[in-house]
Amino acid sequence: MSGRIAGMGDRELVEFQFEGEKVSAWAGDSIAMALWAAGQRDVRKSSSVGAPRGVLCNMGICYECLVVVDGETVRSCTTLVRPGMSVRRGGKQ
Amino acid sequence: MSDERTIEADVGVVGAGPGGMAAAIKLAAAGLRVVVLDEGQRAGGQIFRQLPEGVRADGLIAEPPSHDHGHDLIEAFEQQKDVGTKLQVVHGATVWDAQPGRLWFEHAGASRLLRCTHIVLAAGAYDRCIPFPGWTLPGVMTAGALQVMVRGFGVVPGKRALVVGSGPLLLPTVTSLLGAGVEVVAALEASSRWRGARALPAVLLHAARRREAFWYLKQLSRARVKLSWGWTVFACEGDGRVQRAIIGKVDGRGRPKKGTERTIECDVVGAGFGLVPSIEIGLRLGVASQFVPDRGGHCLVVDREQRTNAEAVYAVGEVCGIGGADVASVEGEVAALSILQARTGATIPPAALSRAAAQRRAADAMLRAFGPLPGLHELARPDTVVCRCEDVTKLRAGEAASLHGGSMRAIKVGCRAGMGPCQARICGPSLQALATGDPGRVADLPIVQVPLKPVRSETILTAPD
Repeated sequence: MSGRIAGMGDRELVEFQFEGEKVSAWAGDSIAMALWAAGQRDVRKSSSVGAPRGVLCNMGICYECLVVVDGETVRSCTTLVRPGMSVRRGGKQ
Repeated sequence: MSDERTIEADVGVVGAGPGGMAAAIKLAAAGLRVVVLDEGQRAGGQIFRQLPEGVRADGLIAEPPSHDHGHDLIEAFEQQKDVGTKLQVVHGATVWDAQPGRLWFEHAGASRLLRCTHIVLAAGAYDRCIPFPGWTLPGVMTAGALQVMVRGFGVVPGKRALVVGSGPLLLPTVTSLLGAGVEVVAALEASSRWRGARALPAVLLHAARRREAFWYLKQLSRARVKLSWGWTVFACEGDGRVQRAIIGKVDGRGRPKKGTERTIECDVVGAGFGLVPSIEIGLRLGVASQFVPDRGGHCLVVDREQRTNAEAVYAVGEVCGIGGADVASVEGEVAALSILQARTGATIPPAALSRAAAQRRAADAMLRAFGPLPGLHELARPDTVVCRCEDVTKLRAGEAASLHGGSMRAIKVGCRAGMGPCQARICGPSLQALATGDPGRVADLPIVQVPLKPVRSETILTAPD
């Protein structure tokens, strides 16, 4: 899988949807890291001007990577991927 | 009245980094019932971050000598859990309110409560952010974020990385990137070489720190990465993501020097301008704080036995001021001994106290060379967003400060900067600089609000008591 450090061994594959597109991830990935490995940098639109935002702190502090999972807003960096979950960009709609 | 959402323990520990683990190991070994609440998915904290369960790096990413201690701690911690002691760890727990003897947290979407006699705060720290034009572009992130990406998930950050900031953590950021196969196009330390040299005695006279420093120098020279002193990032540019950075020299106070700019192509930027202690839970518990710029700003106050002024509340490691993993683990041990002393009267061995004091002194001596550089706050232009949650520019925040009286509180009221979900953890240092005009000066304390971190409203409404 591209975007991964080679040699860490294969893991169970997990598939989910981001903005309606299929994303393949590894079990144990956070949503943010699964999206990053898939080449997706822009995960939220800023709240008032709608500018693209991505991972900033990656440890649950900044809330820049908020996404909407099955209708609920969560931090994509602290939320693990689940098979079949539907993820949309957070922030300004 | 307690229900199944409430857990009881003798000691509640917040954080499973080196400080929390060291305290929990000792307390559990002494037969106490310990519950550790940790926001991460695995033990280790940010500094000894582990890959997901079942994934092994097996030497793929080179580790500095100090990480041996991290592995030992994690192993001892896991063993304490396995040998049937009363040590329990709740991963993925977000603490959102605290009272003496009570920690409310959200876990897997559920509202839960930990009731305990003693509390050990080992919540660690997070990266200090300095705004500059283009820092909101995807691909620009904290040094800590890059570490998590590589060491916590085995994900490759990009092809060409720029590392900027100040302090010892730039080095592990560079080596993590190298371990992930990323080209490090430049590593820029904002402090001058002369200022950095003040750390030399503390490093050279301390065997473990000396070994660590030489290990990093070897890694950098092998990869032909040069640490450039007195340089930083001026701006990042790109179409929807970072594609290039403007870098330049700064003076001894961190002010950008005109005419020194250079453009450098990169697709990822890691910025690490030191760390900020996570003191919110402590403040909510009524723990006193002090402002120590070289230790990261507002820190919790403890005595030499890691006791705070709040009854049965102890604090260890970064929350008492940035000092690193070695400081955190010895302070964690002292906190455990202190609790055992309170319960059984067993006195704390003087050697443990002097070990902790010596580690703290050594860390202070080193970090003195990397204290805040006030001039870095001049990197942001009037139209640069300083509060990312609410999209507030430096100009608007500055206007609010002058209209409503120079304090962070005034800025919040005047323009909503700092009112978003990060609760000013990201914009705090720059709002403070705007409020007082000098980040080295004591600004008003961060405003502690409940929830301490955003949680579901249902979590608050249905909280057990």
